[in-house]
Amino acid sequence: MLKDFAQQYQIGFPLLSDRDSAVIRSFGILNTNIDPSLRAHGVPHPVQYLVAPDGAILRKYFVPNYQHRVAASEIALREFGIASDAAPSVTLQSGALTVEVGLSADEAFAGQEIGVFAKFALDPGWHVYGSPLPDNFTATSIEFDDPKIARQSFDLPHATPLRFADLGETLPVHSGTFRIIGSLLLKYPLDDGSTTLRGRLRFQQCSDTVCEPPETLAFEIPLTLQPFMVAPPRK
Amino acid sequence: MTDQLPSDLAEKAAIMREFGRLRAAGAAIPPELQAKHVNATNDGYATGPEPGQRIPEFTLPDQDGASRSLANLAGPNGLLLVFYRSADW
Repeated sequence: MLKDFAQQYQIGFPLLSDRDSAVIRSFGILNTNIDPSLRAHGVPHPVQYLVAPDGAILRKYFVPNYQHRVAASEIALREFGIASDAAPSVTLQSGALTVEVGLSADEAFAGQEIGVFAKFALDPGWHVYGSPLPDNFTATSIEFDDPKIARQSFDLPHATPLRFADLGETLPVHSGTFRIIGSLLLKYPLDDGSTTLRGRLRFQQCSDTVCEPPETLAFEIPLTLQPFMVAPPRK
Repeated sequence: MTDQLPSDLAEKAAIMREFGRLRAAGAAIPPELQAKHVNATNDGYATGPEPGQRIPEFTLPDQDGASRSLANLAGPNGLLLVFYRSADW
């Protein structure tokens, strides 16, 4: 059964069979909402664990709808900074700033959560702003204004307070190289095939002597939406 | 181990059967039914051991019939363990 399934969907990772749900019970995640007359009786709650080689749980993921999961590619990106070799990205450049924005994988299913990264590199002597900020400055942010995205969140690194003697103010700044990591939840359903995810980056770059006006850079990252596959008929 | 079954199983089963019937027929699932189905399956959900704790020991057969446990599954960064329903349906 699992062998056929693995071959049909070209699955390279181990698939384990817990026929009597004994391991599911030992984890305490048996779904007790399923009547014994239903074939789904014995299924687990849809939990994912990231486990260290010694068996200690590093992270736990739970997406309430069992049809939607956090992509392994997002977990690899978030936890280990690893993106697939095929993962798409675009590079944006303005003045002293270069930003590479990319996704954790080049393929995804509707309803799935995928990872997104933005790698910033600023020339020496330049900075962009973190938050909180006075109204007359613009903080660095990334946003996807794409109708295919249901939910998005981003983790910004900690900004360093920098004293501006001329202004008499201390403001949070980012300089050198830094990285924003985020996640995008795709809507369900979506048409499958080649598409793009559209977003924009907002920032204001300044040096010790010059402050550029706030900028907005739009970008589109290619992504292939995979068709849902129907399980083969029972033999 | 005896599983404590909730008292409203019949009601949940009716929702799951209707959901399964529409899905098997390839019909559109009304959003209200989709929501009821998700709520019925998630009621009182449990997510098992917490970060920092160790996972229970296990040994299970893989798709090639080989016996697998943490020791022969984990790579240098460890293991992503995903619990899912079935490869049969």
